Amino acid sequence: MTAISIAAPPRARRRLPDYTPWLLISPSILLLVALIAFPLLFALKNSFYFWNLQMGPSPMGFIGFDNYKMALSNGMFLDSLKTTLMMTVVGTAVEFTLGLAIALLLLRKLSGIKLTRVLLIMPTTIAPIVVGFLFRYMYDPNGGLIPWLLTSSGIPLPAAGLLGSPSTALWAVLFADIWQWTPFFAIVLYAALLAVPGEIVEAAKIDGISPWKQLLHIKLPLIRKTAMIVVMLRFMQIFNTFDLVVVLTKGGPGTSSRTLGYSLYQAGMVDFNIGLSSAMTWMMVIIVNAIIGLFVFFAFKDWD
Amino acid sequence: MKSDFNLSRRNLLKGGVALAGTAAVGGGLVPRRAMAADKTLRVLLAGDPFYYAIEGLKDQFEQETGIKLQIEAISLEALQARLTSSFISNEPDADVISVDQMWLGQYLESKWITPLNEFIKADSDTDIADYIPEVLYSLNTWRGQIGTLPVAAYGQMVLYRKDFAEKAGIAVPEDGSWSWSDYLAAVQKMNGQDFDGKKMSGTVLAGQQPAPVVHMYSQLAASMGTRWFKDFPAASAWDFQPTLNSPENLAALKIFSELYKNAPPESVGYNWFDAGMRFAKGDVGMFYWWTPYAYLCKKDGYMSGKDSVVADKLGMARLPKGPGEQVVSLGGHSLGITANTANRDASWQFVKWATSAKTQKAMGLYNKYGYQFSDFARPSLYKDAELLKIYPHLTAQLGDLERGNGKIVRPPVPVYTTLEGIYGLNLNKVLTGQLTPEACLSDTQTYFETILKGNFLIPYQQASFNDTLDATKSLLKSLA
Repeated sequence: MTAISIAAPPRARRRLPDYTPWLLISPSILLLVALIAFPLLFALKNSFYFWNLQMGPSPMGFIGFDNYKMALSNGMFLDSLKTTLMMTVVGTAVEFTLGLAIALLLLRKLSGIKLTRVLLIMPTTIAPIVVGFLFRYMYDPNGGLIPWLLTSSGIPLPAAGLLGSPSTALWAVLFADIWQWTPFFAIVLYAALLAVPGEIVEAAKIDGISPWKQLLHIKLPLIRKTAMIVVMLRFMQIFNTFDLVVVLTKGGPGTSSRTLGYSLYQAGMVDFNIGLSSAMTWMMVIIVNAIIGLFVFFAFKDWD
Repeated sequence: MKSDFNLSRRNLLKGGVALAGTAAVGGGLVPRRAMAADKTLRVLLAGDPFYYAIEGLKDQFEQETGIKLQIEAISLEALQARLTSSFISNEPDADVISVDQMWLGQYLESKWITPLNEFIKADSDTDIADYIPEVLYSLNTWRGQIGTLPVAAYGQMVLYRKDFAEKAGIAVPEDGSWSWSDYLAAVQKMNGQDFDGKKMSGTVLAGQQPAPVVHMYSQLAASMGTRWFKDFPAASAWDFQPTLNSPENLAALKIFSELYKNAPPESVGYNWFDAGMRFAKGDVGMFYWWTPYAYLCKKDGYMSGKDSVVADKLGMARLPKGPGEQVVSLGGHSLGITANTANRDASWQFVKWATSAKTQKAMGLYNKYGYQFSDFARPSLYKDAELLKIYPHLTAQLGDLERGNGKIVRPPVPVYTTLEGIYGLNLNKVLTGQLTPEACLSDTQTYFETILKGNFLIPYQQASFNDTLDATKSLLKSLA
């Protein structure tokens, strides 16, 4: 039996208007814009109003830039910004350096490396609040593990303890953050290093290039994209640090460990000053975006 | 074997209609008592000792009323955040809530809780006459309305190690006939001595900012005559001009700094419980703190049930006095009914039950973790022989509560939390040596003025209310 195929009569091809793709994706775009823009615009509007829930449940009037002036006038915002920037820059740098060192060690395929990889990821899976409580016990001047280790090594401790002294409190908070997030850098950078072509490294070895130069001139440039993105992510996360500070120091002693995230929490969720906290939020948004913008400009300018 | 069951859209619809019909008819046939038994009341509390006793006794309430209880307890700070967001979004989160005395004005004026005057007036079981008026004045009234009822009332008192005081040759006047200078001298004498194999600290502070350090320091400051504002709350015209930068407050702050020099240095970061538990460890001579620590310090941890090393060595004394009339800080926890609850009457039943003399006594006798509740607001319970046997400090506690005035020691001004944040921060800086006492008070005064002006409280242009203890007593009489 012979199959006879009858060709369908050619259908007149109707050309869709040029805007059709935009029309099709417009609901998603609208939803996305609404989800991102609405809270920010709502906060922007509130930042120009006197709205303190301790005084009344709804906004009590337009006050122009007074909330911004109040945030800047008492020095609290600028002090917190200074502390936050110090913590963010040092934290990101230390976590990146240690993470890279661990990633390079992982590449060496030492025995027990699989177990190490599993253990490494564990700190990042713990909630920061829990990490905070864990370190509170470890920093306890009366029998905590860390003071004991330091004093056993001959390192003097402040009388009020690591969390009680203005000179060490911020670094104690940062240490807990480094403990938790260095493995994140390590795992991501390890994955990036695995993608570096082996033949390039082999060629460099044959040419007698030292491991240090291999790292600086071959490996780091090849993993730069991944490294930049992970640095940017952590920079933004540390900039918003709040939970560790709440559990470990409540911003103290004095204002020595008060980050912008904590100041914002204090203004919004303790003082319930919606106007002031909205103004602070917007200043934070501008600062973070300016820093990230500069970072992106310089770090990614010669990308394809 | 082939199944006869055929899942089709029509069959599904049929089934749905049948189910809905059964539910509708069946619902109408359910006896009213069974429906009452199904009613569940959501109670959101601060996780202080009173919560454990209420949780342990909730079956009694359920048996008496047929109303089920769903009780949740969280930290005070988390409670305030959660309640506020539930009120501003008008999403009911609970029927009955813990309301701190500092939030009372805000909650009543925002109509977030229901005033209780009418409930009390209509219900003689409340026995409103059996309350310490100073407690209701400090914790529960705002502009002539009772917004909440006290479920746990705290004053402040001195706790000390009897055996160590004896060895150190210090006679602590338990009746409170001593000054803050005497107290400091006793602390200084105790500090650094060897006792029981330990190097003793004279005292311990709750130095953490903002709330713990303000709670502790404000007691000493008020005793020494410090007032926060020019005219509030007992004044026909409120004037919130701050008066913290005063000689009385400076004298008090200098004593507080000296006390810190005789305390464990790490107590600069201690919160309420850290301070109490440090004393319970046995290496601290004496300290003053909220009255629940009279029983909490007898245990080696929060609701641990195990005795601490000072359990049988604990001495209790009335607070030292300043040059003027003694003023004791009053605090604690109170229950209020949310305005957006659909269960107003059931909520009132619970508030009445939890604050009644009968339940409060049962809470005092509740012994799951050892006896861990003696924070009564009803004078009748302070004469109860059974309770006095377990809590011998009750007589001294009543004496302090009757000298209490929470509205002077920590005035419930509308922006209190913000002011407490600034005050606590600067007090903490004094302890760490970042500010001198003089600079602390001057800076705090300036910040207070800025905040109060920014919130339109200076000058005060709204209606004032002459909020006196006598006004509260008259209110209670009218409701009795």
